[in-house]
Formats: sequence, structure tokens, C-alpha cells
Amino acid sequence: MQAQVKEWLEQGKVDVFLAYKMIQGHPLPYCFTRNDLDEVNELIPGPIRYPLEKIATKIAARYPDVKIGLLVRDCNQRALNVLYVWNQLNPENVETISVNCCPSKLKEHADCSYLEPKKAGPYKKQVGVDNNMDLEDMDAYGRQERFNRWMYEFKKCIKCYGCRDICPVCFCKECSLEHDDLIGTGDLPPEVPIFHLVRAVHMAGRCIDCGLCEDACPVDIPLRLLYKKVNEIVMDVFEYETGTSPSQNPFSVLGDTVTLKPKPISQAA
Amino acid sequence: MDCKIVPSVCSYCGTGCGVLFQVLDGKLMGTMPMKTHPVNEGKLCIKGWNLHEHVNSFMRLKQPLVKTFGRFIKTGWDEAIQLTADRFRGIIEKYGPDSIGVLVSAKITNEENSLGQKFSRAVIGTNNVDHCARL
Repeated sequence: MQAQVKEWLEQGKVDVFLAYKMIQGHPLPYCFTRNDLDEVNELIPGPIRYPLEKIATKIAARYPDVKIGLLVRDCNQRALNVLYVWNQLNPENVETISVNCCPSKLKEHADCSYLEPKKAGPYKKQVGVDNNMDLEDMDAYGRQERFNRWMYEFKKCIKCYGCRDICPVCFCKECSLEHDDLIGTGDLPPEVPIFHLVRAVHMAGRCIDCGLCEDACPVDIPLRLLYKKVNEIVMDVFEYETGTSPSQNPFSVLGDTVTLKPKPISQAA
Repeated sequence: MDCKIVPSVCSYCGTGCGVLFQVLDGKLMGTMPMKTHPVNEGKLCIKGWNLHEHVNSFMRLKQPLVKTFGRFIKTGWDEAIQLTADRFRGIIEKYGPDSIGVLVSAKITNEENSLGQKFSRAVIGTNNVDHCARL
């Protein structure tokens, strides 16, 4: 892998390569360039996960023509697909090297261990929502109980905006969560559940289930489960599976052709 | 293009959360929590998440100001330190060293706190040293 990154940098296939490096005993994201090729020997694939594609988006926003190389796991690849679809990154300027993924039901052996949520304690299990829960188990609760359990989780929120700030597919310049008319921006605790539901609605068709938000949440709100639910609705209604392809345009989920007849504006006036 | 990701410690409070700054061409573009840091384990509060905004803020004080005739005038460090020393000396001569107190902070390092108490005991000559958290 290191040899390939060196080759790419030397040949100019990529100008920068985003991966990880041990710095002061911490595996941290690092931007490798051709100015110091020997550094590439210190490149490591894991076991850590940062939103490298978010860093790439920031570089691309400033330098649109820079060719960016990335170390990708499955979640990074899905995030890249979403960013391509939303025109935040140009797929022609991005090269990827795939590495082993996080442990899950599908992949038992994995290098990245940061996806496994901690086991929920007995109190959280009794009144809140277990982060490891399946959607089916969640739906099995009655409507009122489900509401109470989610409200318990939402009420813990300290409004750090960490879920939004770490999210690799959150790129809007103006965020609804900072809009005074929608959400009281200065107030603490945040208005629940509207704060979380606004974000959940915006995650529909965007969330790639990478789990970084839940990992960054200081109060352990099961955000993945919430966004899984909205994505399930998007899947059921529009058959749109987020992040699976770099060409699946979110604007054409209703079909490629416009079926509604154009309104006769002149007659209406 | 110069892209760096710099590990650091949050400067807001005494907790000392590990943060990562994304630096593009010498300018802070974003802040992330350090996932392997033993203090914050990949989490941050809202102030930590927005460290780059406070560094880049146009309202940030970058040079000393001296209040002259009721208005703040920009000045150099040498002049500001000289002025402060003169005023301290004047107060100590008139009212004695115990008329001055020093407040140190959780936001600065242990070494800087140590220097703070040394300054108050050895230079000013008072034991009036306390911590800003008890203010």
C-alpha cells in the first residue's frame, strides 16, 4: 500500500494522500505529499476512523483542481458517493485505496474497531434506547413508549453540534440547526425533539450510516438508529439507497422524466 | 498547497481535551476531537468544536491596548509591559505589596501557573495568589 501511494505521488496521479500516521503515540489523520516521500513509510491503515472525506471536501473547496488520494473503508466510500452526487467532490480528482472495514455482522474480521457501540447499561435499557438495537425491535414498542424512550435520549443533548460537525456528508454553508426561526440558537438545553428531528429529516437520503456522529456524541444518543429509520423510509418510498452509487442523483428519485403537466401560468394569471 | 492536521489541547478550560486542527495554508479550517485522547475519547463540547472560529475571529485581540483618556489605543508589547510595571511599582510603593493579588487560570499550563505564583511571591512580594475557578 505504501509503495502504491509513493508511486501515485511520484507520478502525479495524486497531489496529496490522506491517510493515518502515528504521531506522539496517537494514530492521527495525516496529509502525505510528494515533498516528503519517506514519510509515506509511516503510513498506517488503522485502527482508527476520522472523516477523511470531510478533510478532502475542505481541500477541494479551496483548490478545486488538486488531485486527492484517500484511504477508504466501506463507510468512506459511501460518503464519497454521496459527496460526488451532491457535487462536493469531483470523482475525476479523487483516487482511493480500499482497506479493511469495521467489524459487523457482515464482516467479522476487521481492522477498524470504532464502530462497535458500547453495551448499554441497565437504566438506559429500561427507559432509553439501546444503541445496538435493531429497527424491528424499536418498532415493536408501542407508539407512546417509543416516544418516551426517544425523549429520554434527546433530553440528554448538550447541543454540542458534534453530530453535525463530524458528519462527512454535512456540508451546507447555512445549516438549519443554526437558523433562529427554526431552532432557538442560543438556548440550552436545545428544544427537543425538534432539534434532533430537523437533523434527522436532513439526513434522509444523505446518511451513509458510518456511525461517526454516535461516536462523537458525548451523551450517547443512538443517532445511527434514528437516521437508519429515516433512510429506511426513503428506501421504502423512493427506492433510493444512499451512498451505493456515485451517479444516483437525489433529484431524480421521483423518476427521470417529469410526469406532472406544466402549469398554464398565462391562464392562471 | 500546504495541508496539515495538527494535534493540540483545547484552550478553553482546565479539562484539557485533545483536539485536531485542520490547517490549510497556515489558516485553521476546522477542529475535530482526537479519538484516542484519554481525556475526551473523541468527544468535544460546543466550544471545543468551534476553536477554529475563535482563532480566526476578527474580534480577536492580537495586540495590547492601553486605555488613555478613556479610549483604548493600540500599542506595542514593550510599551505595554513597561507601563504595567511602572503602575505596579507605583501601587506597591504607595500601598504595599499585599494590595496586589494574582489570579492564575486553568486555561494555562502547569508551568505557566508556577511562573504566575513565582511572579507574585518573588517579584511583587505577596502571597495573594489564587485560581480563577474560585473567583
